[in-house]
Amino acid sequence: MANHVFVERPRYTCASGGAVATVTALPGGIPILHAAQGCAGNFAWTQNGAAGLQVGGYCGSLTVPSSNIQEREVVFGGVERLHEQIGHTLKIMDGELFVVLTSCVTEVIGDDVAPVIAEYREQGIPITFAETAGFKGNAYVGYDLVLQSLFRDVLQRGIPTVKRNVNLWGIPPYQDVFWRGNLSELRRLLEKLGLTVNSFFTAEDTVESIRHAASAELNIVVSETYGLEAAKAFQEIHGVPFLSLPLPIGPSATEPFLTKVGEALALESAVVESVIASERRSFYHTLGPLTDCYNDFDLQRYAIVVGDGNYAPALTRFLADDLGWLPELVVITDPHDDDKQTLLQARVAASPTGLTPQLVFESDGSQIIEHFRRRWPSDPQQKYKNAFNPAFVVGSSLERELAATLGAGHLSVSYPVANRAILDRGYTGYRGGLRLIEDLIGQIIAGR
Amino acid sequence: MSFFDQKEPPRREERLGACIAMNDTVHNLAKKKSCLHDDGERAFNQGSICLLLPALAILNSIPDSVVLIHGANGCGSSSHSQNANTRSGSFQRTGTGKDALWLSTGLNETDVISGGELKLAPAIREADQRYRPKTIFVVSTCVPGIIGDDIDGVIAEVQPDVSARIVPIHCQGFKTKIWATAYDAVYHGIGRTLLDEPDDAAPEAAQGDAQDAALEAPTGAPQATVQTASPENDQPNRTVNLMNISSMGRVDELELERLLKAIGLDVNFFPVFASPDGMFRMTKAALSISTCPTHDDYILKHLHEKYGVPYQLKHMPIGIENTNQWIRDIAAFFGVSDQAEQLIAREEQELQAALAEFKPLFAGKTVFVSAGEFRALVTAQLLTELGFTVSGIRSFHHDEFAEEEYKKLARQSKDDYVVNIANVQPFEEANLLQKLKPDLFLGHTNGNMTAAKLGIATHVIYNTGLSYVGYKGAYELARRLYRQLRNPAYNANLAKHLRLPYQTEWYQSNPFQYIKTRGGSLHG
Repeated sequence: MANHVFVERPRYTCASGGAVATVTALPGGIPILHAAQGCAGNFAWTQNGAAGLQVGGYCGSLTVPSSNIQEREVVFGGVERLHEQIGHTLKIMDGELFVVLTSCVTEVIGDDVAPVIAEYREQGIPITFAETAGFKGNAYVGYDLVLQSLFRDVLQRGIPTVKRNVNLWGIPPYQDVFWRGNLSELRRLLEKLGLTVNSFFTAEDTVESIRHAASAELNIVVSETYGLEAAKAFQEIHGVPFLSLPLPIGPSATEPFLTKVGEALALESAVVESVIASERRSFYHTLGPLTDCYNDFDLQRYAIVVGDGNYAPALTRFLADDLGWLPELVVITDPHDDDKQTLLQARVAASPTGLTPQLVFESDGSQIIEHFRRRWPSDPQQKYKNAFNPAFVVGSSLERELAATLGAGHLSVSYPVANRAILDRGYTGYRGGLRLIEDLIGQIIAGR
Repeated sequence: MSFFDQKEPPRREERLGACIAMNDTVHNLAKKKSCLHDDGERAFNQGSICLLLPALAILNSIPDSVVLIHGANGCGSSSHSQNANTRSGSFQRTGTGKDALWLSTGLNETDVISGGELKLAPAIREADQRYRPKTIFVVSTCVPGIIGDDIDGVIAEVQPDVSARIVPIHCQGFKTKIWATAYDAVYHGIGRTLLDEPDDAAPEAAQGDAQDAALEAPTGAPQATVQTASPENDQPNRTVNLMNISSMGRVDELELERLLKAIGLDVNFFPVFASPDGMFRMTKAALSISTCPTHDDYILKHLHEKYGVPYQLKHMPIGIENTNQWIRDIAAFFGVSDQAEQLIAREEQELQAALAEFKPLFAGKTVFVSAGEFRALVTAQLLTELGFTVSGIRSFHHDEFAEEEYKKLARQSKDDYVVNIANVQPFEEANLLQKLKPDLFLGHTNGNMTAAKLGIATHVIYNTGLSYVGYKGAYELARRLYRQLRNPAYNANLAKHLRLPYQTEWYQSNPFQYIKTRGGSLHG
């Protein structure tokens, strides 16, 4: 099991890094780091290596304004430097939304940034802040903290509810390397239900739609682990309830997703059913021609799934429920409290196939092989044995060595994704399910 | 007392008077001594990197090692990018591509209050037991630096129970704005911990004793031709240390090895991808050779002072004339100048003939260069040799090692041009490029985006997968630039459809408006 004295090759950066990535994904979003000079570069290099070749955004990478505090500020305080930095940022940078993000150093030295931000807000500047010291948590926490700040400071308060307006989140930009595609497909499906969707981070979203987000009837969080503190804050501040659902990948998961959204909004069930029917028809119409080769090449696989709290259960259920593969071991690599662990366990166990893959919470990739050997003991001397093959590892790019050890195929989906270029590919919904089948089988037959 | 007797290396601001904020011209800089420069600060900053990142780039490459980053969970996530280099670099050297192995103590809010030392000792022990490495690099970051964790104390306490050698590396990012201090931090750890010969070292490695050959001033080439004989076999020691802190990939190492072999030398590369157990071999060499003075002066001086290994700390073998000079100085030290001249003549003739195909396209085109100081300046010299006209240079910092390089550039160009010292700061770059409109831009990794979105043809000035060094590097760079210039449509399209995040007025302002001089006033 996971040790608690270190994390091996953490599959995320810190709260500040997650926050910077989140702000750079907002329309016209400009992060202002209140940090030592290296944090921005660390995040840029991290994205370079881990985010499917996506670095930056409108104002990301080394373009991010940063107070670059030094030893002098550590001794005397960094508020004055921050003040100067914000003032000049507003003169140079062209942004629609500015978010000051604090860091380890500025929080340890106790810089009080709230009054500084309040001063600019009083002048009508679209600016907020989040306290995102790295020691407060990982990139998922940073994502949640930025959303909380938006909900607190950027969203207009007291505006009337507009029927069929919804907000959608739960997919952290860059930390989910497929964030654009994943959000777009879910937007498309929700719009097909007749909803108006604000999803914060797609090319269709605007600062204006974000400001009016409190008009929503419902907040849909496609995660059972990420963005939930923000959902609670939203409800508290603006009175909008939220629905937390698993990340839906493929028809078997997307159908209950749409049904639950329909129920929560009291949509006519006939509308929801017809959307589901047309999407399902299109999915299977498209999948059909694969069937000859799927059978001829014997493309069913045993599987090990490694990923974060969103992906690991969602991918496992897709492989089992839609593709008919055999997941044996599921590894969740980021930290979750006991309640969340129980919830995620239930998701994995609920497959209608009756398959019961083992779920472990393990941060250290090198230990996965040990979990596997306990799960599937093997005697190399045996003449006839039910070996773990043909097999496939769906994980991050750090699972390449594991896949090679097992002689299994491999696809990087969960962070880090070092060996794929991702632009707007996504795996959610119906179309995402098709993309995932293409990518999995593409890996298996690459040498054909 | 030596710097190496201290727990931490000094900051380069103090040791070398290095600076990061300056606006000058090449002809001016050619006349100034670096100690006379007026370093400034910026009243507006963009983020850059800290010494932790280049330090990890080196440490992640070292085989049989674990890099234990003592800090919050994000410090060290840059390793995800460095891992690509570790995988390809280990594949090129050993036939097996392996992931780097980095760990984080993941300090949380409780640790910040109660101290991180409690976590560090068990982390070192667990890392030793689980991975059985030869070396554990314990890398300290900002938070332990502020809350006062004594990592050297913890290491001293646990070392007796741990079979790996534990090497402390101090990387508190807020302490220095000169990230080249990273090289000192890594060399400091290696110098203090890994240079003693292990008891079970392979005997063939121990060739030649420490030398006491005469040494010129640090920036001068060693002139001594005195050779001390190896006590075992009376053969002169012809093994040299070639320092590579990850600014070169294997392809560049092979080019330099080829050239040095041609004048009869054997080459060992340190410290990237070098076995921790073999690091002591750098104390046995006949000469230490720098491939970039900015990188290597700290360890080369130490190797000389403590082990008597003379060194060459001048010229970077990027550019034709620079490569010639680099070889000449080494050859003079070993008394093989005639061989070197023959080699140089042969190489130059072949190279010039091969470059003829590309030069017509380059002639008269303007180029802007941005990178670490030495890299930027020598690449500008190479580009001039290829027929480009340099229209501006940005260097990440400035220190004394580059004085000679500005002189070379000033001799190459009768027209003066801007030199901007900046720890990246793309806002100044965007402004400058918009005014200068060069035909081509060469920037560091993560440093080409600004020029690309302005529609300028771009090429990366440093990438460990590509060839830059020596004669082969000159040819390969020319070949790549030829390719970029033949079709810069990717960037041209970006410029039509994307914009940089700066206000229109900014482009009309003085690009150096936010540089404060020591007096505290902003430029007008």
